Amino acid sequence: MRLWLGLALVAAPLAAQSARGRLEGRVPGAAIPVVDSLVQRALAEGLPTEPLIQKALEGGAKQVTAPRIVAAVQVSLGQLRDARDLLIRAGDEPPATPGEVTTVAWAVRRGLPGPVVERVVAALPRPPRASAMHAVADLAAHHFDPDSAADLIIAAIGLGLVRERLLDVSAAAAHELQRGHTHAEALALVRRELPSVPASPKPTRSAVARARRPADATPP
Amino acid sequence: MNAIDPRIHQALDGELAPAALSAELRRAVERLATAADLLAALLPFPSLESRVMTLIRRPVPSRVRRLVRWLATPRAVTFRVRPAWSLAFAAVVALLTLFPIRHEGPDIGEHEGIAQFVGRFPGAQSVHVVGSFNDWRPGSIALEDVDQDGVWRATVVLPAGAYEYMFVVDGERWVPDHLAERLVADAFGRENSIVIVRPARR
Repeated sequence: MRLWLGLALVAAPLAAQSARGRLEGRVPGAAIPVVDSLVQRALAEGLPTEPLIQKALEGGAKQVTAPRIVAAVQVSLGQLRDARDLLIRAGDEPPATPGEVTTVAWAVRRGLPGPVVERVVAALPRPPRASAMHAVADLAAHHFDPDSAADLIIAAIGLGLVRERLLDVSAAAAHELQRGHTHAEALALVRRELPSVPASPKPTRSAVARARRPADATPP
Repeated sequence: MNAIDPRIHQALDGELAPAALSAELRRAVERLATAADLLAALLPFPSLESRVMTLIRRPVPSRVRRLVRWLATPRAVTFRVRPAWSLAFAAVVALLTLFPIRHEGPDIGEHEGIAQFVGRFPGAQSVHVVGSFNDWRPGSIALEDVDQDGVWRATVVLPAGAYEYMFVVDGERWVPDHLAERLVADAFGRENSIVIVRPARR
């Protein structure tokens, strides 16, 4: 316990310091102290800080004014808090892990209603849930009813599909739409097919041969 | 060699009753008599005919046994190869050893995947993809229009996960990926595209 407390006390200022270092020269100077204080507040609350830093860097790259960057980072912080509360409401033991908070915040940003997100969280008590959230959000983006979309993904989870295979379920439903089926028919067809939905193709050899590794890739 | 007691000879020849011997000599006489009986009971050496018949009547070994015997028996193998072919073969082996065939492209880690970015920007001078995978750093990942048809492409190795991104055309115009199925508001009045990179090794 003491060790963890000690590590937390050391890690927090280091993270804040590295955030300021990453923002300098990339974000308008007027925004940096405010963004930095928001990052420190997120750290103190046990929330992930990377989405806030990314939002500030994005604003800087898009040459957005300092007040708009600060406003966007504040909105992001609020979304992370809501996501943490939602996770705990859905049954996760506090403190919620930063990765899961980011996942849920992203799902809500993609337009999934809170109760639908809660259902998916409850159906997958063990993280990671990112693929499940994206699968439901993908279906919602194709104008499937979010509740029915969550039903399909929860059914797939119940049949043992996990991680990226859940994205194959949403892709299969979208494929049925393209083949001319209605939303209800597409859901019914895919549900009948579960758990044997077709897997997405692996990258071809030529794609691998062409691929370049960017020097400054940042993990998600 | 010790000389045998003459009384033993006499006892073996029946000239002296064993009861007349000492206990030690009597035991020696009994051992010699037993040995003589054993020698007398030995089978006579088989004749040539019986040995040949035994060999002929021997059961045929199983296929597996014959195969094992065939494999274990040394044999002379002769190749008829033109020296030119042997030299060519040796040259190929030497070349493969010195310059092994390498897989093209980068080595992809267990938690990495490939993202393909494609956009149609006719007349553009440059197109870059910028996103949360490169800290929104413009200019680091360039798309290419190799055949000058206005379709720009980049194939990139990234850690598996979900990322937001946009295209930057000619260094100033921020454009979402119109081919992307996933979009999300960027909080600056525009929409970012979302790419989900799956692990390439599945």
